[in-house]
Amino acid sequence: MTPAGSLLSATDLRKSYGSTPALDGASFSVHPGEIVAVMGPSGSGKSTLLHCLAGIVAPDAGTITYDGRDLTSLTDAERSALRRGEFGFVFQFGQLVPELTCVENVALPLRLNGVKRKDAERRARARLEQLEVDDVAGKRPGEVSGGQGQRVAVARSLVTDPRVLFADEPTGALDSLNGERVMELLTDAAREARAAVVLVTHEARVAAWSDREVVVRDGRSRDMEFTR
Amino acid sequence: MSLPGPLSGRLRDLGLGVRFAVSGGREGWTRTLLTAIGVGIGVLVLLGAASVPTFLHKGNAREHARMLGMGSSGEHVHRSDHSFLYVDVSSQYRSDQVSGYLLRPDGAHPALPPGVDKVPGPGEMVVSPALRKLLASPEGRLLKERYDYRVVGTVHDAGLTSPFDLYLYAGSSTIDTAHGAHRADRYGAYLRPQPLNPVLVVMVVLACVVLLVPVAVFIATAVRFGGERRDRRLAALRLVGADARMTRRTAAGEALFGTLLGVALGGVFFLGARQILAHVQIWGLQGFPADVTPMPALAALILLAVPLSAVAVTLFALRSVTIEPLGVVRSSRPRPRRLWWRLPVPAAGVALLLTAEPVDAVDVLGLVHIAAGVLLSLLGLVLVLPWLVEAAVRRLRGGPVPWQLAVRRLQLHSGGASRAVAGISIAVAGGIALQMFTVGIDADFRKTTGADPKRAQFGALASYPSGALAQRMVDDFGATKGVKKVIGTVESWARPQRAKADPRGATTVSFTVGSCGSLRELAHLSSCENGDAFRVTESHDAQQDGRLQKLARPGTRLAVDDGRDLYGGTAKPVLWTLPKDVPTVASRRAPDGTYFGGILATPGAIDPSRLHNATTSAEIQVDESVPDVYDLVRNTAFRIEPGMRTWNFRDVQRDQQYTSIRSGVFTASALTLTLIAAAMLVSQIEQLRERRRLLSVLVAYGTRRSTLAWSVLWQTALPVVLALALAVAGGLGLGRLMLGMAHKPVTDWGLWLPLAGVGLASVATVTLLSLPPLYRWMRPDGLRTE
Repeated sequence: MTPAGSLLSATDLRKSYGSTPALDGASFSVHPGEIVAVMGPSGSGKSTLLHCLAGIVAPDAGTITYDGRDLTSLTDAERSALRRGEFGFVFQFGQLVPELTCVENVALPLRLNGVKRKDAERRARARLEQLEVDDVAGKRPGEVSGGQGQRVAVARSLVTDPRVLFADEPTGALDSLNGERVMELLTDAAREARAAVVLVTHEARVAAWSDREVVVRDGRSRDMEFTR
Repeated sequence: MSLPGPLSGRLRDLGLGVRFAVSGGREGWTRTLLTAIGVGIGVLVLLGAASVPTFLHKGNAREHARMLGMGSSGEHVHRSDHSFLYVDVSSQYRSDQVSGYLLRPDGAHPALPPGVDKVPGPGEMVVSPALRKLLASPEGRLLKERYDYRVVGTVHDAGLTSPFDLYLYAGSSTIDTAHGAHRADRYGAYLRPQPLNPVLVVMVVLACVVLLVPVAVFIATAVRFGGERRDRRLAALRLVGADARMTRRTAAGEALFGTLLGVALGGVFFLGARQILAHVQIWGLQGFPADVTPMPALAALILLAVPLSAVAVTLFALRSVTIEPLGVVRSSRPRPRRLWWRLPVPAAGVALLLTAEPVDAVDVLGLVHIAAGVLLSLLGLVLVLPWLVEAAVRRLRGGPVPWQLAVRRLQLHSGGASRAVAGISIAVAGGIALQMFTVGIDADFRKTTGADPKRAQFGALASYPSGALAQRMVDDFGATKGVKKVIGTVESWARPQRAKADPRGATTVSFTVGSCGSLRELAHLSSCENGDAFRVTESHDAQQDGRLQKLARPGTRLAVDDGRDLYGGTAKPVLWTLPKDVPTVASRRAPDGTYFGGILATPGAIDPSRLHNATTSAEIQVDESVPDVYDLVRNTAFRIEPGMRTWNFRDVQRDQQYTSIRSGVFTASALTLTLIAAAMLVSQIEQLRERRRLLSVLVAYGTRRSTLAWSVLWQTALPVVLALALAVAGGLGLGRLMLGMAHKPVTDWGLWLPLAGVGLASVATVTLLSLPPLYRWMRPDGLRTE
């Protein structure tokens, strides 16, 4: 059953990779503007949960509802369109296209949506400014630091004004100082945009930026019923 | 005993590299395997090329070992227990050549042909497996009528040139020396090797360079597969204390292992590929798998040079990379490529070609000179290509997302793309040059025979002289289905009775007997009746016309068909007087393209059956709409006389050596291009594999698959278009230089079009075939890290 008022929810999700179960009856929900941290040890299934929620991977069983629509019944093209228009993503590694400059990377989701290059890059620069990395706009990812690169990635995830932001270990590759700064900028920007955030992390320090925590262990989720 | 410190340290570094190559689970093995497959394909081609001399030698050796009567000095073979009579009964069947002999042993222990256990008895034959299969099939029905003997055995491989060889030995109790049979007491002939025309030698050298350079370039590309990941691993090594030299040695060890595996794989590919020869004919390439054996010295060179080159290429590639403990400093904006050190290489090649000796006077040193010129010119293209691609893509801006992704990637990493297409560009450039050269010299190796296939398409020549045979030929060929007209003649010679016999022909004129209908094909006759004779002039041969004028005046008493006019012949002339009122007529081009000059006579004037030294021939006009008409005629020829030679008239005749080399070059070109395309596919897949995580991330963002597919297409197409443009320019230039050396003009500047088309088609195919793996790697599974 979909929790009342939730923007995105999942019930009894099951997913296996070969004979290895990744999700075994996990449930989840997030409300508009809410930041939910999904915690758990390595291999617990939290990234798989995020991939299922984002429509990247189809679950073997269970239901996912986004804004009243059954996500599992959508075609691949429809899910892709949803990800382009209404979702944003931040990953730990390998997310920026190394050949494009930072501003081109941030503008990429807009351009994929058909926005003209100049307009897309103007909006991208505004996001870079918001994330305090406008000085690296013309540089390629290989020429900027890890913290700067991750902020560029956050800018990119927010440039389409998504309703849900999925962040998978967004600070995993950063030192604590840079990690804190990225989280601060990410949550501020998300709150300002009234975007819900699904934040996958195994660090309590990162999870502390969330409104609510869900723990995934052995493929099952457990809501901490804790609200900051 | 322990190794000295520095040496053991170096070996340890190399060993670590080998461990990197095999460890890393599926990922590591996939990378190593891709390198090995790439190198293996290259080694396959190199081993194939190294086998060409053995292949040709073994095939020729077996061919010569079964020959009869060739290369003999004319010595008389005495009848003995080992001797036998033979008649060559080779003929064509559809487009295939069927060869063999009719045999009649003189004694109880005749010499055995190679690959045959027992000489077949009268009415029996032993056949090659391919001929047995053909005769047993419905397709061989007409051939079975021709060689209507009972099959009693098989000609084994030792007596055949290939598994597809159509060969037979049949037994006879009737052939004799009076009717065209010859005597021999052993098989085998020594044929003095025909020296190759220097122009053809140059063509072969050009072909070798053109076909092998792309392979070498591709091997160099294959050993750099997985370079980005390798550099990250090396950075990790630096972090734990390895110095720059140690990391380079480790990289060399890793490349060495992949290459050695590739060499082994190339050997396996080679063994597998040569087995194909046992089952299919590849563009006329015929031989047994065992014939395809590399020359030991060349094989050793390949086994040594490929791994060493791999190490050298790896170290050269690392030259532009600084591996620091915290990462690889290649990600920064690369330094622009410089043209100044690249241009001298092709310039040196062009200079060498401009200063080369003319090809018709070339010696070994001159060949090396030319080969070096071609090699440097083609390698120059490989060197200039990365600069060209970089310079061109640097100027590109804007465009839709796929275009932008492709252009940006090329701007940052154009080297990989250039390397991937370098093989194609050399193959196309070399192919264009080779094609231009071949077409340019074509006229020198082509002879217009003047034959007129509208008047007769087929010739037949009896193997022994008989005037009576001529009439039978006319009758039997005339009765054959599909035959429209037969021109049958008995050809001999005549000498004034008083003149001295001269085997060199100085005192003789040609003397041909035939019906009025047949003679009209040889001269312009206003009227002709049986019993008439004619003097024929205007034969386009001044000597012949002069002799006619001098030796065969009207009323001259002639000795016709005198054996003393032949070397070793005996006197058996037919005395005949040229009528006083004999008309003199002009010669007419015969259907076979020749002009007759001499005396023509009808059977009423002289009985051809009295001419025992004469040659009997027929020129036959057929209705080509009748199915298998040529084989019906050949069957008739075999029935008249098994040893009768038959052939089709061709208006153009090509030099055999030239034709063989030309078809060999085109076969090798097609194989090289196919292998390069296969190798490009491996290279493309490797590039995509390296980026699969990024592809997954882009898909997670909702990027359409078609967007990524288009970006891959652009990414391949841009360097390819530039590479082909360079290849066309380079190929035309090289072809022009080569033709200059042969003092030939360029006859066709449009020759680049088909080859460029083939190059483009190869790339399109490669792109198309790389789409399935691209789509697979665009799946979100790539996001999983656990």
